[in-house]
Amino acid sequence: MSRRVTIGDALVGAAASPFGLRFIEHDGRMLHVPYATLLEDACAVAGSLLERGLTKGDRVALVIPEVSGFVHAFFGIVAAGLVPVPLCPPAQAGDIATFAKQSQHIIEASRAAAVITTSDVAALLGDTSQAGDAGALYRHAPTLLLLDDLRTGSPIDAPVPLSLESTALLQFTSGSTALPKGVVLTHGNIAANVEGILGASGLDAREGDVAVSWLPLYHDMGLIGMLLSSLYAPADAVLMSPVLFLKRPSSWLDAIATFGGTVSFAPNFAYELCRRRLKSSQVESLDLSRWRVAGCGAEPIRPDTLQQFADYFAPAGFRSSSFLPSYGLAEHSLAVTFAHGGLHVDVVDAERLVRDSRAVPVVNGSPAVRVVRCGRGFPGHALRIVDENFNDLPERHVGQIIASGPSVMQGYYEQPEATAATLRDGWLLTGDLGYMADGSLYVCGRTKDLIIRQGRKYYPPDIESSLADLQGVALSGVVVFAVNHVEEPDQVVAVLETRAGGRAEEIEEAVRRRIRETAGLEIDRVVLTPPGTIPRTTSGKVRRSETRDRLEAGTLVR
Amino acid sequence: MQMRRVLTRMANSNADRYERDTIEILKRLSRRPIEPAPDNELMADLGFDSLQVLELVGELEDHFNIAVPLNSLTHIRTVRQIVAEVRTLASAESGTPS
Repeated sequence: MSRRVTIGDALVGAAASPFGLRFIEHDGRMLHVPYATLLEDACAVAGSLLERGLTKGDRVALVIPEVSGFVHAFFGIVAAGLVPVPLCPPAQAGDIATFAKQSQHIIEASRAAAVITTSDVAALLGDTSQAGDAGALYRHAPTLLLLDDLRTGSPIDAPVPLSLESTALLQFTSGSTALPKGVVLTHGNIAANVEGILGASGLDAREGDVAVSWLPLYHDMGLIGMLLSSLYAPADAVLMSPVLFLKRPSSWLDAIATFGGTVSFAPNFAYELCRRRLKSSQVESLDLSRWRVAGCGAEPIRPDTLQQFADYFAPAGFRSSSFLPSYGLAEHSLAVTFAHGGLHVDVVDAERLVRDSRAVPVVNGSPAVRVVRCGRGFPGHALRIVDENFNDLPERHVGQIIASGPSVMQGYYEQPEATAATLRDGWLLTGDLGYMADGSLYVCGRTKDLIIRQGRKYYPPDIESSLADLQGVALSGVVVFAVNHVEEPDQVVAVLETRAGGRAEEIEEAVRRRIRETAGLEIDRVVLTPPGTIPRTTSGKVRRSETRDRLEAGTLVR
Repeated sequence: MQMRRVLTRMANSNADRYERDTIEILKRLSRRPIEPAPDNELMADLGFDSLQVLELVGELEDHFNIAVPLNSLTHIRTVRQIVAEVRTLASAESGTPS
């Protein structure tokens, strides 16, 4: 059966099934909503939106902390033929000022016609004292709508019909720069990716599957991987608040045990958190034996983390063969490859990897790097490894991963330059580095300036701009970057040009403090250098990767 | 009269308990070997990142048997504010000192 239908049609299809969604909010409140009820609710919200004059194709931002509220608003927007633009809610954005600024940037960049939110959040969005120039919000988003006011509209009979070519979603990958990039996905893109995810090369979805997820729904893995995949299947899904999981990691595994979860995805850090935070007495009372797909993605996968998780939770019936390492990115709707057969680790010679960009299996005890197998792509999609000139590389040569097929985004919303730099002749330049071996993909780094911590992505320019006005510190330049390691989390380094005098420690502390406050990120190293140290382009822009290379080589400060 | 004195003392000792226990939990979760003071900010002074803030909230909820509302998470910055929030929520929850 072809699953290539619009999200609205998938909702209508699911409504005819006995399945539905169960929400678990941050405080443990539960709500069960069959897809049939969800369809009715969505048609009511859609009716209200259309009554307010919104028309097909309008972008509607949604910022709703509660899981059930988010889902209702999302499907209401979709049923009305509008384009949802999910935003990160305040509790996960860092401080209020960061939240207000991020939201404002995305609302402006998407030219959203309306914002759907809750009364609590509305107060923060409009908090001009916190957001500085948040007055701009009102110039760009004329309509601030409260979800509760939308539920009681006169419902439309059925979701507004749309073609597969129409835009389904604007997925913003970062909000904190002044020019955030919105990934444009059509209904056809999402349907194609979901088809791959559910198919034999993916989860191999089957009767009786129950998805359990705490992943944020404003991100691709939660929204497309868990919610929309369950809808298209259709299958039961348990959607938990990410806040509940982060407060109490046991709540995730409890939900899997209680509701007989068979499929659940999470970034590497979540497996680590569970092993560290659950007591062995808690493990014994869990039954994880039905969990057949334990997906792992969204950040570099550490084999040790997964192996330790498997050992620790074996008494609960967890099987390491359930692990499904995966690779994907928002620009490819979500998933690119899935690895079947559990955790498989390629042990390669560390020196040759760095020196020759070759992944050579290690012999007799030379220093090794372990790379997790991320598996194969989906039918109808293609994958290549290329050098700087886009020539194909042979097996076990490291190059950039590029992908093509029906899951590839249309581009970045109204950003032709960024789009042209990322889409070339139908190929998506992922910016990630990897190699192929025996037909499987292995991911081992990034060419992009991107920092990944706990599955969250941070963009160096955002952090750099937050340091620009550090009080009492005369900065002539600042560069923030990540040093990637295959097996370790990214190391985050800030290099600052300033005349520190005797105040080095004080400045370092101020830098750490500012980054913690604005990004919620703990950085690993602060390097203070004299003015004129950071390499720059002829137009005076800092060269980030060159700064990183020089620092690593020990030639930054001469 | 006697009764009232006892109740006041119980209430006071309970108020102290919120502060004492909160600080104990903060010390346990903080990456830094410092004694948290009321004016300390969680992220800036005690070195909490956003993940640890939520871990802290979970610990406080379990310890005091309270539920911290989502919008409190965006407002709480200092140790003093955390203790005040815990006190308010715990008194509302139990009505009587536990």
